[in-house]
Amino acid sequence: MSAVWALSRAAARRRRLQTTVIGIVTFVSAITIVVALELFSASSAPFEHAFAQQQGAELVAAFDKAKVTDAQLVATGARPGVTASAGPFPQVTVDISQPSGAGPSRLPSVPPGPLTVVGRPSPGGRLDRVDLWSGHWPTGAGQVVVNRAPGGPSPVGSVIELSDGQSLAVVGAAYSVSQSAGAWVTPAEADALGAKESEMLYRFADATTSDQLRSDLTSVTGGLAPGALAGSRSYLTLERQYSTSVAQAYVPFLFAFGILALVVAVMMVANVVSGTVVAGLRHIGIMKAVGYTPGQVGAVYLLMILIPGAVATLVGTLAGTLVSKPLLSTATQGLGLPAPSVSPWLDVVVLAGLPVLVALAALASARRAKRLPAARAITAGAAPSAGHGLRAQRALASTALPRAVSLGLGLPFARPARTALTVATLALGVTAVTFAAGLTSSVIRYGQLQQRTSSVQVTAAVRHNGRSLLVVSAASDQRTAELLASLPGTRTLTAELQTVGELVGPNVRIDLDFLRGDTSSLGYPIVNGHWINGPGQAVVGPGFLKDHDLAVGDRVTLTMGGAPATVTIVGETWSYDPSGLMADWHTASVLDPGRGATRYEIGLRPGTNLASYIARANRADPSVMVQANGGLNGDEQLIPDFSTLFTVLLAIVAALGVLNTVLLTIRERRRDLGMLKSIGMTPRQVTVMMVTSATALGLIGSLIGVPAGITVHRVVVPAMVHATNAVLPSSLLDVWTAGLIAALALSGVVIAAVGAFVPARNAGRLRVAAVLHNE
Amino acid sequence: MSTEQPPVQVVVSLDTVVKEYGATTALAGVSLEIAAGESVAVMGPSGCGKSTLLNMIAGLDRPTSGSVIVQGEDLGHLNETGLCLFRRRRVGMIFQFFNLLDDLPALDNAAIAAQLTGVSATQARRRALELFDELGIADRRDTYPALLSGGERQRVAVARALMNRPSLMLADEPTGALDSHSAEQVMDLLIDLNQIGQTLVVVTHDEHLATRCASRVVRLSDGKMVGEQSVEQLL
Ligand SMILES: Nc1ncnc2c1ncn2[C@@H]1O[C@H](COP(=O)(O)OP(=O)(O)O)[C@@H](O)[C@H]1O
Ligand SMILES: [Mg+2]
Repeated sequence: MSAVWALSRAAARRRRLQTTVIGIVTFVSAITIVVALELFSASSAPFEHAFAQQQGAELVAAFDKAKVTDAQLVATGARPGVTASAGPFPQVTVDISQPSGAGPSRLPSVPPGPLTVVGRPSPGGRLDRVDLWSGHWPTGAGQVVVNRAPGGPSPVGSVIELSDGQSLAVVGAAYSVSQSAGAWVTPAEADALGAKESEMLYRFADATTSDQLRSDLTSVTGGLAPGALAGSRSYLTLERQYSTSVAQAYVPFLFAFGILALVVAVMMVANVVSGTVVAGLRHIGIMKAVGYTPGQVGAVYLLMILIPGAVATLVGTLAGTLVSKPLLSTATQGLGLPAPSVSPWLDVVVLAGLPVLVALAALASARRAKRLPAARAITAGAAPSAGHGLRAQRALASTALPRAVSLGLGLPFARPARTALTVATLALGVTAVTFAAGLTSSVIRYGQLQQRTSSVQVTAAVRHNGRSLLVVSAASDQRTAELLASLPGTRTLTAELQTVGELVGPNVRIDLDFLRGDTSSLGYPIVNGHWINGPGQAVVGPGFLKDHDLAVGDRVTLTMGGAPATVTIVGETWSYDPSGLMADWHTASVLDPGRGATRYEIGLRPGTNLASYIARANRADPSVMVQANGGLNGDEQLIPDFSTLFTVLLAIVAALGVLNTVLLTIRERRRDLGMLKSIGMTPRQVTVMMVTSATALGLIGSLIGVPAGITVHRVVVPAMVHATNAVLPSSLLDVWTAGLIAALALSGVVIAAVGAFVPARNAGRLRVAAVLHNE
Repeated sequence: MSTEQPPVQVVVSLDTVVKEYGATTALAGVSLEIAAGESVAVMGPSGCGKSTLLNMIAGLDRPTSGSVIVQGEDLGHLNETGLCLFRRRRVGMIFQFFNLLDDLPALDNAAIAAQLTGVSATQARRRALELFDELGIADRRDTYPALLSGGERQRVAVARALMNRPSLMLADEPTGALDSHSAEQVMDLLIDLNQIGQTLVVVTHDEHLATRCASRVVRLSDGKMVGEQSVEQLL
């Protein structure tokens, strides 16, 4: 074994550049893989993940303090089927008043209206370990921690005013995935606020279906005084809400990026490793002539590559863990969930897996070398197979190209296997860059489609003021509409009445949205049928059609308590939305005459300043809250961030792959290069020759990689959209402009040229005497 | 596996060895016997199959047909690993272009051959240093091959070939890449080796080298043996 170890250690040490390249490629790949895997584990089931992490409560129940004692409640934790419980915690519902001093543009830290406040001694405990992401837990009277997803400005320092005149100072912000409270105070403060209920939190042995949860609830409440249970909520409700939310739609995008990064990183490592072995043929031949057995030859190459590979894996895994922490918290902020912790077992997987991968790549390519008789291995390294290259090189020589360029273009033909490997590296890199660019455009469009920001830029919502059902008079609606329409900058104005009603027949509650004005300006993409263009027409999402077994063209009857109205479903929008129906204004006046709009969506004239328009609108009509529609907010910014990170990492890896190939080519062709220089080729010409040959390969890589990237995009994007149950609007796929494609094609050439430049320049500087002396 | 050796010791025995590379026939049925202590020169024009013949004897490649028996060992019966183990102990080989391992300093290039047979690194270096001393390159022991002169490199290669006291020494144009002075030195070295009983096969197209080193000259042309002479006949 000592002969094996001695040679592999010497080789790893002496071939500094090669060792460095293997090290860096493995290092960058380890980072990419760790981030990708962390992303996987965080995005594969974000709700379940966060819920498990917080030891979320599967059932949150409120009991009437007058009907049940604390001791009785504690005893419910021992009922059959209960695996864990927490509480009782005093609970009170307070009424938040409209903040007095806040200007119209400032959002209150807690919206006005009812707020459930729970008295808890600490954020931890057996269940519902809430994520206290800002400030501290209440320590005395008058202090409150509000329940809010992390991200955005901290509300700490603001004051909540209650309608009875009391006020609470916000000392912290925490997030409960179980949504066990709107805010928390100390138990004593909850009692002081007049707590009449007790909150209990439970986890059960069987709680995967709503039927199981119903029987769990029966088991918990059995034997208590009638009416003791004031209310309860199962986590399945939250899970359902979450899974249909906009944020959930980003999960597949994150997932796709993770897979891409993983595949490319793995292939790049394999590529660089096999390149090293292919280039080592002559070396392998000598080793065999000296008496190294095939197994020992394999072992030398394995160790030679594993020494830098293992070190780089270790460092890269650590770096990846550090990088993924902030990235992950950004990711889950976008999802409205607390930051998941980095999973140490993923690090272990990478630490063990990557060296194995490196080893497999080395072994796979060493197999060929191992089987080759020693005599042939020695000559294979010394002379390129003639034939192949000769004709191409002669043809190139007779062109009008500068000799350095035509020689450079001929080089790849001399070594078809090496060339194929380099082209594969480049094609992979370009595929990744192309896919990332396409995905980024698609995601930005996806966000625009969700928020319709290219059609309507501003929303004015009538202030709610804590009322549960908002009823606006027709007169006030007319006043507001006229006012908003008259503002300079308003191009289109659509009024909407958002309310709830019932679908006659199945008798289910649905969300109704009646539209008035130039409704086509709202910019809802229609994937089937057409947009509303007359009275008695409605548009719904695919979820609605599926749930009620309807199709475009069908008629449904609606009611809001009074007279029913029948509408025809004339179109299908793309987003899933199982419970919403949009209809024309005429239908609203049939169902409930005299009701005014609760919301206005405004399209601005080009060139209008968004911020000053919003400020002016808010001043003009204090009864509405005017806000910008989205823009690139946290969710959408996340995807470009990730895609940029991965694209940069993958481009680096691809460039290093090229660098490695050029390096190996030069090592092997030192004699030719020395000879060319001896007959008068200048260092510059040598550099041009080597860069030219890499650039030509870059172009081929682009020709393969760009279509491949587009193909992957065409497969992945629809799959991701379908995963959210939405219908794919074709505009998500039509992101490829000629300019973008040209830029991407250039990326392969640039990656190749950058990767080739350093070794090519070194080749130019090779001293002829040294080179020729060596052979 | 080694069988009882016959009284007249035949070290190498080739029987109608044919080697084809695709359409090229490098060896067209060569039969040859070499006895212990002999020194044989293989001569012929470039491309006639000299290196191929040597590679067959060294087990660096396999014949298309025919048998190669070295020291009673039928190479046709050995797998790749078996051939490596055979080469390690039985054969020392030197090449026109030295074929040293660039990553190791001179001394380790030689020592590694002994290390492969299980000798400890310290012991292997000691033996290598003895040989370096005899070959007059002890002061170059820590130099990497890239910085050695051709003659020095070939002497490192000779040291490497001698490390395991091979019963057979094969040299493929050992002076072909050397200046006349270095060539002379390497030639002397080979002659000395043969004088102390080392069986030697030297490929060369240098008549001078052949007459000085060899007791017998084998001539090849187009892969066939076209003549065999003792050196006495030559002179
Ligand atoms: N690995 C190989 N692949 C194909 N042909 C080979 C190979 N090695 C040698 N040859 C061919 O076999 C013939 C004999 O070669 P070789 O033994 O090297 O000749 P010599 O050493 O006498 O100059 C030549 O025609 C040569 O081209
Ligand atoms: Mg030859």
